[in-house]
Amino acid sequence: MAEEQRKPKKRMTATKAAASIGPMVKEFITGTNRARAEGKRKLAYTFIVCHHEEILRAMDVLPVWTENFAGICGVKRAAERFLQKAESLGFSRSLCTYALCGLGFDQWREELGEMPPDAPWGGQARPDFMISSGQILCDPRTKWYQAAQQFMPDVPIYNIDLPHPLFDPKKDHREVWGYYHKYIVDQLRGLVSFVEEQTGKKMDYDRLRELVALSDRTWNLVHETYELRQAVPCPMGTGDAMNTMVPLCFMMATQEAYDFYVNLKQELEEKIARGEGEVEDEKYRLLWGGGLPAWYALNDFNYLNSKGASFPAETTYRMVVPIYEMDIPETDDPIEHIAWKWLGYWTHWYDKARNRPGSEPDVERLIEYIENYKIDGVVMHLAFSCRTWHVGLIWQLHQLAKIYRPIPVLMLGGNGKGDKVQRELPSLILESDIIDITSYSEMDTRNKIDAFIETLESVRQTKAA
Amino acid sequence: MSEKTAVMSRVDRYYEDYGLRAKELSREGTKIIGYICSFVPLEMITAAGCVPFRLRGNIREPITKGDTLMETIVCPFIRSCFDLALKGRYDFLSGMVIPHACDSMVRGYSAWSFSLELPYFHFVNIPSVVKESSFEFFQHELNAYRNSLEDLVKKPVTDADLSSAIKVHNQNRTKVRALYEFRKADPPILSGTELSKTLVVAASLPIHESNELLDEVLAEIGTRQESPFQPGPRILIDGPCVDNMELMKIIEDLGGHVVTDTICNGTRDNWPRVNENKAPLTAIANRYLAGINCPKTYRENKAGTFEGDIKARFGDIGYFSKSFKVDGAVLYTYKFCDPFGFEVPARKAYYESIHVPLLYLEDLYSAGTIGQLKTRIQAFLEMIE
Amino acid sequence: MTAYYLGLDMGSAFSKGVLMKTDRVVTSYACPTGGEIKVTAERIRDEVLLKAGAAKQDILKTVATGYGSKTVFFANVTVTDMSAHAKGVIHLCPSIRTVVDIGDLYSKVFRIDSQGNLQSFLLSGKCAGGSGRALTMIAKVLQLKIEEMGEIALRSTKKVEFSTGCAVFAESEAVSRIAEGVAKEDLLAGFYRALAAQLNALAERLGLEPDYAMVGGGARNAGLVKAMEDLYGFEIVVPPDPHMTAALGAALIAAETVRQEIKVRQ
Repeated sequence: MAEEQRKPKKRMTATKAAASIGPMVKEFITGTNRARAEGKRKLAYTFIVCHHEEILRAMDVLPVWTENFAGICGVKRAAERFLQKAESLGFSRSLCTYALCGLGFDQWREELGEMPPDAPWGGQARPDFMISSGQILCDPRTKWYQAAQQFMPDVPIYNIDLPHPLFDPKKDHREVWGYYHKYIVDQLRGLVSFVEEQTGKKMDYDRLRELVALSDRTWNLVHETYELRQAVPCPMGTGDAMNTMVPLCFMMATQEAYDFYVNLKQELEEKIARGEGEVEDEKYRLLWGGGLPAWYALNDFNYLNSKGASFPAETTYRMVVPIYEMDIPETDDPIEHIAWKWLGYWTHWYDKARNRPGSEPDVERLIEYIENYKIDGVVMHLAFSCRTWHVGLIWQLHQLAKIYRPIPVLMLGGNGKGDKVQRELPSLILESDIIDITSYSEMDTRNKIDAFIETLESVRQTKAA
Repeated sequence: MSEKTAVMSRVDRYYEDYGLRAKELSREGTKIIGYICSFVPLEMITAAGCVPFRLRGNIREPITKGDTLMETIVCPFIRSCFDLALKGRYDFLSGMVIPHACDSMVRGYSAWSFSLELPYFHFVNIPSVVKESSFEFFQHELNAYRNSLEDLVKKPVTDADLSSAIKVHNQNRTKVRALYEFRKADPPILSGTELSKTLVVAASLPIHESNELLDEVLAEIGTRQESPFQPGPRILIDGPCVDNMELMKIIEDLGGHVVTDTICNGTRDNWPRVNENKAPLTAIANRYLAGINCPKTYRENKAGTFEGDIKARFGDIGYFSKSFKVDGAVLYTYKFCDPFGFEVPARKAYYESIHVPLLYLEDLYSAGTIGQLKTRIQAFLEMIE
Repeated sequence: MTAYYLGLDMGSAFSKGVLMKTDRVVTSYACPTGGEIKVTAERIRDEVLLKAGAAKQDILKTVATGYGSKTVFFANVTVTDMSAHAKGVIHLCPSIRTVVDIGDLYSKVFRIDSQGNLQSFLLSGKCAGGSGRALTMIAKVLQLKIEEMGEIALRSTKKVEFSTGCAVFAESEAVSRIAEGVAKEDLLAGFYRALAAQLNALAERLGLEPDYAMVGGGARNAGLVKAMEDLYGFEIVVPPDPHMTAALGAALIAAETVRQEIKVRQ
């Protein structure tokens, strides 16, 4: 008992599928170390959601997801010593802590010539090459591996530039996306040549085409599976989705990922048929409206669940939209298709946003989920070290409240008569980090959650018919 | 120092009351287009008959409005600029151009564009890498930028317009270089504060007036027979945009001289030129992608060694250190800046390789830290003396 | 039997207790929280009971609020301090709809309805500053007692810009300003303006609805209240004993809960 209290409490999952993820992730990491020892397959450091998994898998390259390893260090509350290592090298603690953790780990491993002592799950294997990406998304993605070359100068980098047109309320993005597409295609073909050079193998385009088709099917399946969470009560929440994102982000273009969602879908259908929810007595349906989770504090989801709050939807890590809903040109060339899919995903909410004055794609996506998933409130997490996903959240909530007020309430006027007015959805921004536990206070977080629940309850009681 | 001359007093006035001239011009009907970053191609704005105007922050002014719409984890410099803009300090603008520079700029684009409600807002997507296909893409992107300005001013922006804009902007760069020349003397003829103030002001004026101002300053400094300063350590400032003079003033008050820099509103803005012998769009693409050396742009490690890589990436630091005979450098970055932050160890290694002593400061863009800066700078200057 | 209700507000710096008899306050007590919250909570309970001449078993219900509320083992219910302040404030001033609470660790802005229910809230961020801790830091630098800080600023004649309301940097900025020869009263007034501006940013994000009240320890600082009023341009109500409203609200919730329980039984 005493022993258990010292360790972070393990998060309880609502689905069997989510519970099966832990061993799967452990297998990636030990698998890459096995492959390193065998020396038959090439290992590449790389980032998730760059639409290049099909290319890597078709050429038998084993991706080492460096963000994932940093996240694992966070979940296991083992990131601090790697962050301190990075600080001692001269990196500021205000920078992306995923990258700091990875750089601290890599420098240590290179210095020792072996894994640092007690490395989580055997540690992160040394790569043969690194694939970074310049997106309109994340500065650390172009800087991290470049900084890592200070300790691994012999490991080459290929940086894929993957831009997309930014939203402009007055312009149709299709006017410019032709040259974006051409650029992305050039970038991806450059990646193919680079990997061919590194592996000494030629790309098998038939295999690539099959894998791209498999990815497309998986995208559709993920969408359909997640849409099942619209059910009341909701069968699976965001706490679980922070696990079920694993096949989606780390195993795309594999049959295993596809099969995972087949099983998850079936499990959710069964739970819905039995009327089984993520929480026993569902009182509030919340949207995880932005921000990466605090990996060391996933248990906060259980705390929210214990108050009757369920999370039917989240914007985080749900980086797919069904291919059949995408308005993109058809092509037989798999590389061209990947590039269109990239543009199709990032511009998916543009038309809708243009049609609602004052809206913007991120806000539009929130509104879509609020309506489809019957949401009562929005929760976001502001991770101090990551600008990529956490700058713009306040503005999104501000704009959402301005253009979207779905709650009718009676306001008592001075004359004692009730006036019906429309109110915005309650929202909560939690503050901490992705893996820097020194920024987290359980007491503060839970006090905030308590106040938010009190707000939701008072809205529930004053909501006018 | 003797009394200020007319031109330097004018520089002071424009610096203190920033945007004074732009305000007048805007009242007369000229369109003023704001920008915050070295990546915005200014020639295009001038060619469209508008005036490019560099936004400034203010380290002495507390953030009071900005935090209502933007997180405190963004770059504190951007945060200050945004706060001033929200408070109406730049209400004479007709529009703004924001480039794909860093996350702080890009992720805040919606907050800027929706809350300022200016008639014109444009995003220029600068490639992150420097490859052949990047130039091709960038030229398309520049064309889209050109089209957006044409929509604003309702007239075509021709290649001839661009060529003449390129010429005057290049003249401006020539004049700035000439000003830097005055700092090669030991002690320098022109102080770092004077120069930086002049450059801050020059970036707030229409390019022709900016050229005139620089001519006057050049003439004025040209009359100085000898340096009005005592000899002292010669310092290079390395970092992003440093548009408040406090840092330089601290160094100069403590007996040092800021003689050169690799900051945005210094050599990063003013050194690279546009090739006048090439097609204008190609030449602009080349200057802003290959010429601007910002950590945001990824440059491939062609040497295959760390030493070779840092030499290629930070060679400009070596060049300026040598030609301005610096005794030490201050690497000055802002908290939450990922592009610079991830380069700090590599930059340190580079300074070591060229034997230039380095002081690294991470700051908050707030006057609240001046006391701490003083202590550390004083110790550094004593160390290198 | 006499019905007593106890409200306890266990704050990070100070703890307060309010004892009510049916629907009126009979006595209250405040003291530093100290290291052992449980012991402090018992001490406050015993003090108010002693003053009221009542015994433990006379308390029908105890509601605890504030930072350390969850460690008060004898509390029947815990609520957040915002809900507690809301009930307390509405009891004293029924027209209030927006409340600013300057606490030691965080400042909070929240909106309430006519019944004193929490409608929405925002807390000062980790980096944004604007908490009571900054006040303590400045007091230390100026070697002033917290109680006298507010009045001094009202004597300010010269406008001094202070660039931060952040607790970490306020200290060093104050030190440099004093070295520059800035007068205490002007420095304090400048600091209050910076702090008020930060609180205002929070309030604007939330959206303001009249009337407005300020509670918590910071509300006893007249200079800070004035800086807020100057910035907002309207009057801010400070209830009597603004540091006690959460404890009062907690006692009111205790009474209300019992009334509801009786209603359900009937």
